[in-house]
Amino acid sequence: MSAESRAWGWVAALRAGSTTSWLDWTADPGADPVADAPATGPRLPGAQHLALLLRLNRRAADSGRSLPAGLADRVVAADVTGRGRAELTLTGLDGSGFGPSPVDPDALEAAELLRVASLLLAEDVARQPVAQRSTIERVRSASHRWRQLTQPFVVVGSPWRAGAARADLAGQGHPSGGRRPTAYLLAPDLATLLADAWTVRSFDQGGVTWGAFVKGAAGAGGLPPRADLPRMARSAAQRYDAGKVVIVTDPARLADALGVADVAAPPRLGADAVDLVRRIGDPLGLLVDHERRPSLLHTALVDRLDGRGGPAPTVPPRWSSWLDAQAERARHDLAAAGYPVLGDLDALLPGPQPTEPVRPVDDAVLGLALDLLLDPVAGAAQASGQGRDQGRDQGRDQ
Amino acid sequence: MSRRVLLHVGTPKTGTSYLQDVLFQNRPTLLKHGISYPADRFDAHFLAALDLMRLRWGGLEEEAVGAWDALAAQVRAHDGTSIVSHEILATASRAQAERALESLGHRADGSGAEVHLVISVRGLIRQIPAEWQENVKHRASITYARFMEVVRDPERSHRIGAWFWGVQEIPDILDRWGSALPPERIHIVTVPRPGGAPDLLWQRFSTAFGLDGIELERETERSNPSLGVPESALVARINRAAASELSPASYRPLVRELLAHQTLSRRTSSPRLSLPPADLPWVEELTEKWIAELDARGYDVVGDLADLRGTAAISDPWPDPDRPRERQVAAAAVDAIKALLLASAERESEIERLRVELEDARRDVIRARSPRLMRSMEWTVRRMEDSQPGRKALGAYRKARGRASR
Repeated sequence: MSAESRAWGWVAALRAGSTTSWLDWTADPGADPVADAPATGPRLPGAQHLALLLRLNRRAADSGRSLPAGLADRVVAADVTGRGRAELTLTGLDGSGFGPSPVDPDALEAAELLRVASLLLAEDVARQPVAQRSTIERVRSASHRWRQLTQPFVVVGSPWRAGAARADLAGQGHPSGGRRPTAYLLAPDLATLLADAWTVRSFDQGGVTWGAFVKGAAGAGGLPPRADLPRMARSAAQRYDAGKVVIVTDPARLADALGVADVAAPPRLGADAVDLVRRIGDPLGLLVDHERRPSLLHTALVDRLDGRGGPAPTVPPRWSSWLDAQAERARHDLAAAGYPVLGDLDALLPGPQPTEPVRPVDDAVLGLALDLLLDPVAGAAQASGQGRDQGRDQGRDQ
Repeated sequence: MSRRVLLHVGTPKTGTSYLQDVLFQNRPTLLKHGISYPADRFDAHFLAALDLMRLRWGGLEEEAVGAWDALAAQVRAHDGTSIVSHEILATASRAQAERALESLGHRADGSGAEVHLVISVRGLIRQIPAEWQENVKHRASITYARFMEVVRDPERSHRIGAWFWGVQEIPDILDRWGSALPPERIHIVTVPRPGGAPDLLWQRFSTAFGLDGIELERETERSNPSLGVPESALVARINRAAASELSPASYRPLVRELLAHQTLSRRTSSPRLSLPPADLPWVEELTEKWIAELDARGYDVVGDLADLRGTAAISDPWPDPDRPRERQVAAAAVDAIKALLLASAERESEIERLRVELEDARRDVIRARSPRLMRSMEWTVRRMEDSQPGRKALGAYRKARGRASR
């Protein structure tokens, strides 16, 4: 049996759910009782594709699940995204002697598999319809507009935090808005705010890693705009009048002020979850118009990833003095400006950061990606190959 | 459907920018000869390549959604010869290359368009330093020594090494792109060694693309000029100090265009970048292997595969961009500061001109909205301010009005 026949046999077995690694695979093509897929094709899939399929099979077997229909075909036919090596050759096969060295799929790093997985997930996300408000929600919202007359307010701050608070308050019958509103600026501690800013950026633009995000901000000497509280406060003062800006460090005090039981915190996406969003956002930006990317990612992923992905990322120790200095500056600037405070401005100071910083771990990110592929976001069960075109059609409809 | 498609897939730093600009400028002339270069902007094929390969590129990819399919549709719709050209296509995977060929009309049974693959190539001896410099001009701060390390890593696991070989390993590029095409439809255009006739590369492009005999306007402004050793070292230092604070939208015009291309590339007397002498034997061995392989595959060669051997630069000591002569770097830095000052002054003038223009426009808007009485009062005040008695009378009036209003 030639090495290529052996490889085609392994491909067929993987497509049928095999969990045998490449180095342990010895069966003839078609010899595996579960392998009924075609034993040959125009070219062997890349080692990274086969490694991803193997991981999916193993994860499915471990949890008693099976792969969704069509997923195996999509994996072996998928592209790779981002800069890096093209399809890799399986070790043991006769290559042309050119191109990257052949590899053992089991030895491939998670980052290599994520280049395939994130593209498949981006195709799934592109198929999502953007959530529309139901008629009941619209009627309910309209019926609560009178509150804007008696208690006009807006919630501002990090889009991640303020957006969640606005949605929650609207759900409780307190829609923000109205004439001459009080602007409540949500102000968590700076470490949290920085993680929020990276989260928002990952949804909006994809791209930069947590490490590069922190390094870029610290290297620039200031704070990213979405983590710069004095700047947000000035902006709110210009828009709503300085006397109408209130800093909120204690959300419970805001709830009291508005007469509600509580104000919801934003979804809790851990470092690994946000990193996965970032990776999916990259190829998604080439499937749909960029204006649609944040809402599609929100619709498809926020509920699925809420509470997952480990703890929020933390600032590495080498930047902790920068973080402390920025927090001190923010507290000083807000105090000097004399804004009323619901809570205590000392709460802006970050607590002690862990000596072992929390940052996304590729293997954990891949684990989340495997789960999203095994239990796909709605619409993923459609026939393979439609994602790209459909995503574009949706983009053109905007 | 296009009867014939010429698909140019690289490689970078082989005169591709110049070729693409000539093709873009001469679209109407080419069309009269039945040749389509389908592009509504000069970088249309670049955007299409980003789309095909799902590559992020400093935000430019946001303009690329659907660009490949749109380009391929134009190619299929043209009845004649079509040319598609971009050097980053060299890094496409097999799946992407297959999809591209199919979308351009290629059919395995020969019933589709006659697709020809063109690749322009230059020896590694010049491509390795050129690629490091391209990295530097794209925000990288990697040292030359580290660059050589990642390029020589057989695993190619580093992003820069993977990209380098993806766009430079000619036999592998042709494996990925050319496996479905007969060798006679694969054309290798070699870049002449230094010292050849200045027009020789263009003549080779012209032959490969069937442009001989067509009168083309060949003056272009777009090129990708190279930098010397101290200039490259300077840009790498600027990257280390400032790249993280500059958005891609600012870096491109300020560092890449203004400093590197328009200013530092004009310093042509400084030492040129070259391969570290210690790496020469490795490159020579690799080059011989490539030449033998490409020769054996029977491709159409426009030029001479021996051009890949290049000519090693002889200078002692070897000018190391990681340890440049500081006086030379300082001289380059002064030129860079001068360019930035002039650009800044020009920008200030432009801002002032726009400020005045805006003020005039604002005044016009107010005047257009002011009632006739107000306009006549303004006219009266202006006339009175022009004469001594008028000013006195106006002063008295203002004084009286001031008292009355207290």
